[in-house]
Amino acid sequence: MIVLDAILQGILMGLLFALVALGLTIIFGVMDIVNFAHGEFLMIGMYTAYWTSLLLHVDPLIALPASAAVGMLLGLVSYYWLVKYLIRGPMIAQLFGTFGLMLFLRYLAQFLFGTDYRIIQKGLLVGKSLSLGPFILDWTKLSTAILSLLSFLFVYYLLHRTKLGKALRATSLNKEAAAYMGIRTERMNAFAWMIGGGTVGIAGGLLVNFWYVYPTVGLLFVMIAFASVAMGGFGSIKGAFFAGVIIGMIELLFPVFGHLIGWDFLGPHFKFTLVYFAYFIIVVLRPQGLFGWKH
Amino acid sequence: METLRDAFDFRDFSKAEQIILVLFSIFLLIFPWLGFGSFVKTVMIYFLLFSLFGMGWNTIGGYGGQVELGKAQYVGIGAYTVSLMMVWWKIPFWVSMPIGVLIALGYSFMIGYPLFRLKGHYFAIATICTSLVLQDIFINWKLVGAAKGIELPIRDHPDFLYMQFKSDTYYFYFIMVLFYVALFYMNWFRKSKLGYQLRMIKDDEEAAESMGIDARWCKIKAYSIASAFVAVGGGFLAVFNLYVDPYSVMDLDLSIKIALMAMLGGAGSMWGPIIGAAFLIPLDRFLGSWLGGQKGLIGVDFMIYSAMIMIVSAYQPRGIWGIIEQFRKRGA
Repeated sequence: MIVLDAILQGILMGLLFALVALGLTIIFGVMDIVNFAHGEFLMIGMYTAYWTSLLLHVDPLIALPASAAVGMLLGLVSYYWLVKYLIRGPMIAQLFGTFGLMLFLRYLAQFLFGTDYRIIQKGLLVGKSLSLGPFILDWTKLSTAILSLLSFLFVYYLLHRTKLGKALRATSLNKEAAAYMGIRTERMNAFAWMIGGGTVGIAGGLLVNFWYVYPTVGLLFVMIAFASVAMGGFGSIKGAFFAGVIIGMIELLFPVFGHLIGWDFLGPHFKFTLVYFAYFIIVVLRPQGLFGWKH
Repeated sequence: METLRDAFDFRDFSKAEQIILVLFSIFLLIFPWLGFGSFVKTVMIYFLLFSLFGMGWNTIGGYGGQVELGKAQYVGIGAYTVSLMMVWWKIPFWVSMPIGVLIALGYSFMIGYPLFRLKGHYFAIATICTSLVLQDIFINWKLVGAAKGIELPIRDHPDFLYMQFKSDTYYFYFIMVLFYVALFYMNWFRKSKLGYQLRMIKDDEEAAESMGIDARWCKIKAYSIASAFVAVGGGFLAVFNLYVDPYSVMDLDLSIKIALMAMLGGAGSMWGPIIGAAFLIPLDRFLGSWLGGQKGLIGVDFMIYSAMIMIVSAYQPRGIWGIIEQFRKRGA
């Protein structure tokens, strides 16, 4: 029973991880650039939802579009002001460039909001839970999972059924050929950053319902996103989805497992260690990931 | 013999560089008597320490072109070996530091072997992962003090064996000696076979392999050299601070700082890491003490810092040394 509960909770959490990983994998697929600042986009999304709901006295769920908009804007601004120049340089410069962006956003948040851990105290769903037979699900997590799934499906639809999405995928398959076909690849890059920022902004807006927000919250989530993206294969959207869910389950099953076999030192404080370890094992053994086509 | 001659041979540098090196050495020698306060002395010690780290990183990151972002774990290994051996068995620094370096070497081979199957982004993120795993283990490991860290026992008298002195001057000279050992080693390294092999791998790995260079093995060797350098620095950090905890010696920020300094100064060049450290460490310390001390300005120092990183990586990926060389070419 405890295992089933962990699996269920893990899936709920995993859907959110998948949404965080989505933006990362789209950006990587289109531009071959790893966005280290992704976790900080998430953090900004969280702060946006937090302050919007606090200052305008609305429910954090209503503040979600604000998070999405801020995320998109952030993605666009980072692309046009920074990444556009970075892609001309070698890979190490790209890595450090997005790294600089990550530090900048982190300390900007620290400067503006301080290092306090903040959490939303009241809201439509905060603190309420749903009993489903033996399982108790927090409404916040449940709605987060559902909305994550919806956003994921929406982006999937956008990429696979619309002309814009097809152009984006064409760019990620072969940049030059796409340019010959009249696709403005630079605009597609910006579009990828916009979607990436938007989705992770939504994820931040959802996460703030049940997670503390503080300036360095991003590191944990960006590492989880790296692990999910590596597991699913860099650039694979389907892969990111399943890998996110799997990692969500690992993260919650692991302490339960440790408890069951009596190894209590494998407690919850090691659950993210396992995620890093999983990343390492996966990329070493299967660099293209579970569903990957690009490496 | 030949090795020694190579290490001390700076003739292939330009006159200006040689003169600056000599002046810089004289400055370092007389620095403790120039009457600076302890704050400036500490800044200088950290500058030399981070130059050491940066030169270590430069072997794999600069000459080898591998984006290595996990050096903090070796700082941690060096620091923890020294302090644990001192706390548990009262082993002097001069014994425990080499053991720490050996452990770092062994660990780096163990981890480098799977690690260097990876390339590019995958490699960079994997190095972060290994470092974070080790940090998590040390945070939760009760035996080594867990998150609280360990304090080194203070000797009654200043003790050379345990590297405990009353004045920072001794520490300064000790790290200066280490700095020069590293400098001469790097001078030899860039002209060594491994140095050339690494640069070829950086330029074109497939071409290098077709010339019969075992790229993976070369990278592992360079990685271990870098780790040994960093572990020495870690050991020094432990006796200098007399305190070690997982957040100060194993943090991701430390790894980033090490790589960043070399990259900002100019990765893959002899002077790059030193220039980078000379630039960033005083900036870091002074900004930290001026701005960080004032309430309401927390983080401004890091914002300036990271803005510089972004500007440099966007406009001159070869760092400050790249800018200097650009001007030189224009002048010549």
